[in-house]
Amino acid sequence: MPEIRDILDARLKMLMYGIFVSLLVLFTGLYFFQIVQADKYIRLAYNNRLRLIRFLPPRGGIFDRSGVPLAVNETTFSIMGYPLDLDKPGMLSHVSSVLSAHGIPVSVEDLKKTVRKQRWAPYQVIRLVPNLTMVQMAELFADPEFPSQLFPLPVWRRIYPAGAIAANITGFVGEISEAELRNNPPGRYVGGDIVGKSGIERSYEERLRGTAGEEAIEVNARGRKVRSVDVLKPSKGEDLYLTLDMGAQKLAMELLSGYRGAVVAMDVKTGAVLVSASSPTYDNNPLAWGVSAKEWQELTEDRDKPMLDRAIAGVYPPASTFKALVALAALEEGVIAPATTFSCPGFLKLPSRTFRCWRRSGHGSVNLAGALQNSCDVYFYQVGMRLGIDKLLKWCKKFGLGVPTGVDLPGESGGNIAGPGWKKKRLGENWYQGDTINYSIGQGYLLLTPFQIVRLYAAIANGGYLVTPHFVASESRAPADIGLLPEKLAAVQKGLDRVVSRGTGARAGSFGVAVAGKTGTAQNAHGMDHALFAGYAPADNPQYVAVAMVEAGAHGGSVASPIVGEILAHILSHPAEKNESEGD
Amino acid sequence: MNTLRLSLLRDDLAVSDKPLLFSVFLLIFGGIACIFSAGGGMEQGRGYAIRQLVWCAVSCGAYVSVVAVGYRKFMDLAYPIYALTLLLLVLMMAFAPEVKGAQRMISLGVIRVQPSEFGKISLILVLSKFLSRYPPLSLKLFLAGLAVGAPVLLMVLIQPDLGSSLVYMVIILAALFTAGTPLKYLFSFGALGAASFPFLWLFLKDYQKMRLLVFLDPTRDPLGAGYNVIQSRIAVGSGSFWGKGFLQGLQSKLRFLPEPHTDFIFSVYAEEFGFLGSSLLLIFFGIVFTRMVAAGLKNRDVRAKLLIAGITAWIWFQMFEGIGMSMGLMPVTGLTLPFLSYGGSSLLSLSIALGLVGSICVDSAKPYKQLYSESK
Repeated sequence: MPEIRDILDARLKMLMYGIFVSLLVLFTGLYFFQIVQADKYIRLAYNNRLRLIRFLPPRGGIFDRSGVPLAVNETTFSIMGYPLDLDKPGMLSHVSSVLSAHGIPVSVEDLKKTVRKQRWAPYQVIRLVPNLTMVQMAELFADPEFPSQLFPLPVWRRIYPAGAIAANITGFVGEISEAELRNNPPGRYVGGDIVGKSGIERSYEERLRGTAGEEAIEVNARGRKVRSVDVLKPSKGEDLYLTLDMGAQKLAMELLSGYRGAVVAMDVKTGAVLVSASSPTYDNNPLAWGVSAKEWQELTEDRDKPMLDRAIAGVYPPASTFKALVALAALEEGVIAPATTFSCPGFLKLPSRTFRCWRRSGHGSVNLAGALQNSCDVYFYQVGMRLGIDKLLKWCKKFGLGVPTGVDLPGESGGNIAGPGWKKKRLGENWYQGDTINYSIGQGYLLLTPFQIVRLYAAIANGGYLVTPHFVASESRAPADIGLLPEKLAAVQKGLDRVVSRGTGARAGSFGVAVAGKTGTAQNAHGMDHALFAGYAPADNPQYVAVAMVEAGAHGGSVASPIVGEILAHILSHPAEKNESEGD
Repeated sequence: MNTLRLSLLRDDLAVSDKPLLFSVFLLIFGGIACIFSAGGGMEQGRGYAIRQLVWCAVSCGAYVSVVAVGYRKFMDLAYPIYALTLLLLVLMMAFAPEVKGAQRMISLGVIRVQPSEFGKISLILVLSKFLSRYPPLSLKLFLAGLAVGAPVLLMVLIQPDLGSSLVYMVIILAALFTAGTPLKYLFSFGALGAASFPFLWLFLKDYQKMRLLVFLDPTRDPLGAGYNVIQSRIAVGSGSFWGKGFLQGLQSKLRFLPEPHTDFIFSVYAEEFGFLGSSLLLIFFGIVFTRMVAAGLKNRDVRAKLLIAGITAWIWFQMFEGIGMSMGLMPVTGLTLPFLSYGGSSLLSLSIALGLVGSICVDSAKPYKQLYSESK
């Protein structure tokens, strides 16, 4: 038998010869680069000839459902320079004085800070001064004093045609912060890049940003470009079409003017958001090209909180709008039937305390539809007591309360549906029946965002499906079936119908469409009561749902319900145009 | 008894291959010098260099321990060790965080361990044992040999750690080649691999595709992966014949080179020590390979020969890739340069492998009779 060891030894030797050949290849490679081409690489390395410019990609635009622009780009110019030129003594102060002479006040300290922040490699270009107009740029370059090592680079600047009307939705962009740079994988961004800071600009950063372009150039000793070594063209970010209806959004902002509050309108079946107005608001244009620390402070410290998006992050007691959920929970749990009646003498007397109905004279004997129609508190006190806090909270969770709705905007609040456990832990107190009674009319510790309320009413309107509110159709999730019995739902819908047709929300019905909904008046410890209305239309075949929340608006029936009525009427009478992007 | 054991161990270490160990120490200390330099000398380099020195000391301990235990014991446990490795890789897939483009690690308090490094040893052990028992002389046994190595390769591939999986592939092929696989099988397998490349392309991550595309055309991504290649080549080329001198390299100091103390350590070395230093480096690597293969030829145990083949192929591939990459002759894979790159797991696994080689030398030096009586 041919000795297996001999084969192995022969193969081992062959392996060794192969390795020798590979070492020879490496040796030849080293010889080529370090001896033959050494001069070329020494020149490249020592003469600092290779420089790199990064082109920011044009950011994708943001449009409403019919193509109305919300965020677009405009070309401006930046003054660029290389660290190794800028590091020369006196350079920055010279630049600063030349700029000042042309009416562009930039201090030496600011320039130093800019250079420090963007420094990455000596041949990596730095954006020294951004946002110059064509005229400013031409003047500067005509000035013989202007350092020849600096050069202009056309860049886009973000502008928001809709400005304050949709600032809470579009958000704004800004230069990437050092913290954001650290939190991203290396290489994804570099200092000076523009990123979304809030709103859609932030949540869809990945789709909007595009890919940066780069150019490696060889320059002469004076820093002027000799030739281009490598070029990679930037590619534009994706254009986003929102489900937003700018016409309705504008109307909502007008209706809210003078108030603090929010208006939200949504497609009941898909969760596509048509209106999300928050008042007061702010202009996002100046924020996109940088405001001073003082201006920023003024905005953030304003007592009316214009930068707070009240639609997603404002939390309010839902007040009587919550009664629809209490009614549904009680019907589903079987503790009442639609025909169950309670007597309302204007108050409910418990051993510990007396709870009053909003109508001191009482509503007499009321059933479910009547109780919703007239927003009878005593009826719901009784229902709440029968239901109990645990079952009520169970149904809150089923309707997605207590957690963010998942809308595609950053900074959404989850509200608060704290129960006995929370009270024990936070306040060290037991849960009393009075707390349950407060919850049954949407008061107490209960806090919801307008988006949570609108989603709750969408589920009532669409037959019991919990939708995920969204502004970008492709990001929508399929509605989740809560599992409501149709006849129980119909009983509540009937009550909501009567709220508008002959009850507390009658003013919502005065715009030519049949609205069903519920008023709410939330007690406010700091001033006048908050006014609320949540409703959907058309009442018999719901398509859209809307909620209006007016802080210190006194009574829901008089202030909030006409807003919802008008918005729903506007949406129904202005169907989306052909090029809408909502596919589902 | 203990003193007897110790004196036996001293005898064992005395027969270690001195030119081999001398070359390895030179490479390691050259590496530490470059790690020091890459970190900008005293600024950050000192910390890295000291840590690498500590790892070097730990590795010496590991070498001595492995020689003391002997490669035969490792051979006996080859299958359990392999099973444990697979389990560890599965656990890591489930729990360890993914570092973009880098090998996954398991965090053990202050130190992080890369199981894929130790997996190489485990793979070599299991292949040596299996292929010596079932020589891959028929197609069936050739495929069986491939199947033995496949699980660990696939685990590393889906991590995804393309670089390490290439090393695993090279180890498997080298072991099969050395074990006497008819060349027609190997060639057919190679052709099959080449033909399936377009299909594999679909499974590569974007950054891996980018690295391969950049290898073909560095201008594709001049600031990203292509930038590394351009800058590394400038570092190597500008080193010229004599080099710029220790701590005098600019490319690494000015942050042109990414990861100068790990992946691109050779670029730092070549820039500072020039063609002369680089050639010496190749010569020392050549000595390491020659001495290892010589140890394999000398020992009569088929398993030992296969063990040597696997270890040699592993160190060779990472060396070829590390140096080739820094000149832009090979794609960027994120593999370390053996002995020189910063990294405890890499150094430790290499010293364990060298311990196995040392133990094979000890084994060859013993008279046959003694071996016989020992195994009894």
